[in-house]
Amino acid sequence: MSDFAGMEDLLQDFLIEAGDLLSGVDNKLVDLERTPDDLGLLNEIFRGFHTIKGGAGFLNATELVTLCHLTENLFDKLRTGELKVGPDMLDVILAATASVRTMFSELERGLQPASADPRLLAQLKQALAGLLGSGELRVVSAPAASAAPAPRPVAVGDGPDWNAYYHAVTGMTPPDVLAVMDAPVSEQDAPHLSDSTANEIITAAVGRRVSDKPGYQGAGGGRRDGERQRDNSIRVDTARLDQVLNLSGEIGLTKNRLNALRSDILNGKNDTDTLHALDLAVSQLDLLVSDLQNAVMKTRMQPIGRLFQKYPRIARDLARSLGKDVELLLLGEETEIDKTMIEDLADPIIHLIRNAVDHGIELPNERLAMGKSEKSSVRLEARQEGDHIVIIVADDGRGMNPEKLRAKAVEKGLISDEEANTMDERQSYNLVFLPGFSTASQVSDVSGRGVGMDVVRTNIQKLNGSIDIRSAQGSGTEFIISLPLTLAILPVLLVCLEEQPFAVPLSMVREILPIDPKEVQELGGRATMVVRGEVLPIVTLAALLGWPQQRVPEYGVLMQSAEQSFILAIDSFAGREDAVIKSLDDFRPKGVAGVTTLSNGQIVLILDMKELLGSMGDQKVATRAQLLLEGRLPAAA
Amino acid sequence: MSDPKTRFLVVDDFSTMRRIVRNLLKELGYTNVDEAEDGVVAMQKLTAGGFDFVVTDWNMPNMTGIELLRAIRANGALAHLPVLMITAEAKKENIIEAAQAGASGYIVKPFTAITMAEKLTKIFEKLGK
Repeated sequence: MSDFAGMEDLLQDFLIEAGDLLSGVDNKLVDLERTPDDLGLLNEIFRGFHTIKGGAGFLNATELVTLCHLTENLFDKLRTGELKVGPDMLDVILAATASVRTMFSELERGLQPASADPRLLAQLKQALAGLLGSGELRVVSAPAASAAPAPRPVAVGDGPDWNAYYHAVTGMTPPDVLAVMDAPVSEQDAPHLSDSTANEIITAAVGRRVSDKPGYQGAGGGRRDGERQRDNSIRVDTARLDQVLNLSGEIGLTKNRLNALRSDILNGKNDTDTLHALDLAVSQLDLLVSDLQNAVMKTRMQPIGRLFQKYPRIARDLARSLGKDVELLLLGEETEIDKTMIEDLADPIIHLIRNAVDHGIELPNERLAMGKSEKSSVRLEARQEGDHIVIIVADDGRGMNPEKLRAKAVEKGLISDEEANTMDERQSYNLVFLPGFSTASQVSDVSGRGVGMDVVRTNIQKLNGSIDIRSAQGSGTEFIISLPLTLAILPVLLVCLEEQPFAVPLSMVREILPIDPKEVQELGGRATMVVRGEVLPIVTLAALLGWPQQRVPEYGVLMQSAEQSFILAIDSFAGREDAVIKSLDDFRPKGVAGVTTLSNGQIVLILDMKELLGSMGDQKVATRAQLLLEGRLPAAA
Repeated sequence: MSDPKTRFLVVDDFSTMRRIVRNLLKELGYTNVDEAEDGVVAMQKLTAGGFDFVVTDWNMPNMTGIELLRAIRANGALAHLPVLMITAEAKKENIIEAAQAGASGYIVKPFTAITMAEKLTKIFEKLGK
């Protein structure tokens, strides 16, 4: 099935490394557009194609070699000043990069890439011959073809006898070597300049998925086929691995010490010194284990810059196709984040950038009319704030209009007039996350049809994160994504129903308050409480779990999820804990996210509040009488 | 004849390529291999001593393969080291340049273990003389 039997490891290494390299090249191309004469950039891009070509050769990916070879030669001529970068040439180069990316995705699926578009190859050759953009479409005739890459060895009469050198050094006769380089270059390609539109390039760069298409109902943000393959490996700094090794060694030593102490104690030796030594060893183990956990977690951390690298090119292509001049500023690229999160963030961020460029940023003439500079910027920033990672996508565009958003949501039947009237600014902004919401009256090819922002939020929430919007009309919009440092450890609040503890994610907990029966009001047949002017429904944990309610709940936990805030009524607390989540393989009861073990060895279920609420439907909110067990014998509380 | 304990230094900025070369060397029975990601790192490792053979890429950031080659030949303690250039450069200027700078051999990518073995044998033969 695979064209790469026996080479899978090599192929994977190549794809990861060459993929990074290509993203780097893409970014440098965007820079090159601004500073076309930067020799450093030209050299780096040249080296990028060169290196990819070298690796591809070992995979026998001849078509990839051919394409990289042509592009590399072009950059060789650019860096030596033989040719100059022009807009036409840059277009061809960008198309070539996109084509290389397409070939990578074919390789990912285990297939030898098909030949690049013959028109593209012809254009590259024209560019090499210095014929590109000369005003007319030129047929590559014999003389032009002879200017194709890979200069053939010609023994020059008065030069050094290089053939002899060649033979001496390589042991090969020159044509052999050059045949290798030359063979894949077909020279019969159609000579027309491509009429490929910017849109084609964008689609190639951005990538389209089933889930991007209007009307797609399935789970959003799924990976493309074959992408799975890349997920299995990770590159770790050896220094970090060494640290893990050192710590596990130290833990081994401490374990030996504990073993020795145990036999001492079992043999009746329990003087102060022995106990003190035991205490010391246990504290040391404690410290070492938490260090080890940290060190292991760090091996999963990757600089977010590797993700950010993909975006300048995408932003540039989008902006160009929309006739806008947008610069993407990257900040905090060195911020580290869990690898799995990097992968799952790729799509949401693309979407936010796409939205910023398409909806946020105005057209140049609008900007001028508003007294802004014609050139706009989108800022993509990452930073660590305490135990959270914050990612910001901000534009300096027109900002959001809360009134317009509300009107749109009403028009689409997503909210009622009544609801619209009570909404504040922040709630209005959040309307964009509703499924089926889109503010662009005209559907553009770039941003789609309101499928996306809801998927963005769902994907962020899957990572235990949240997304928030800040906007100022006329000066721009900010999307703020907040994520936990890692998915492996989840801070939880332990709540009890009777004697049984359950864990709920601390990230959802806003505050804890006592439930005073006098303050419980019934509103529309539902028990509610007013907290600082906000009317909140009360949901009992017993009802959520389907347990019979034995006594009147004493406490309420004010929980906030993206859709709603509510009060979870419980009997008591058992404290908070950093839970190490263990998933229940092959067995996942509804509403249970996983299990964790408490320090006393007790096993506790971690509740998935969203799923529990969802499965309850309308029954979830108790009436006041149900909540307070009125009409029954007073509970012994 | 070559010694399987021969200590190689493989220099390339592309780690995939280092791995390819390392694997090919392993196929040929050479397991004593270290890596460096550019000429600068390579020079540091070489001056620290213990290497018998250098296999280097041409195109690298910081210090290219040809610069590394010249630096090795100019260093009294290292000048004797065999240096095999591995690169995708098949241009006449490059090959002349490498030969003039004192490359012991030159392989054009992609290549097989057999090509590499032939090249190594030739270099070892020359050294043996």
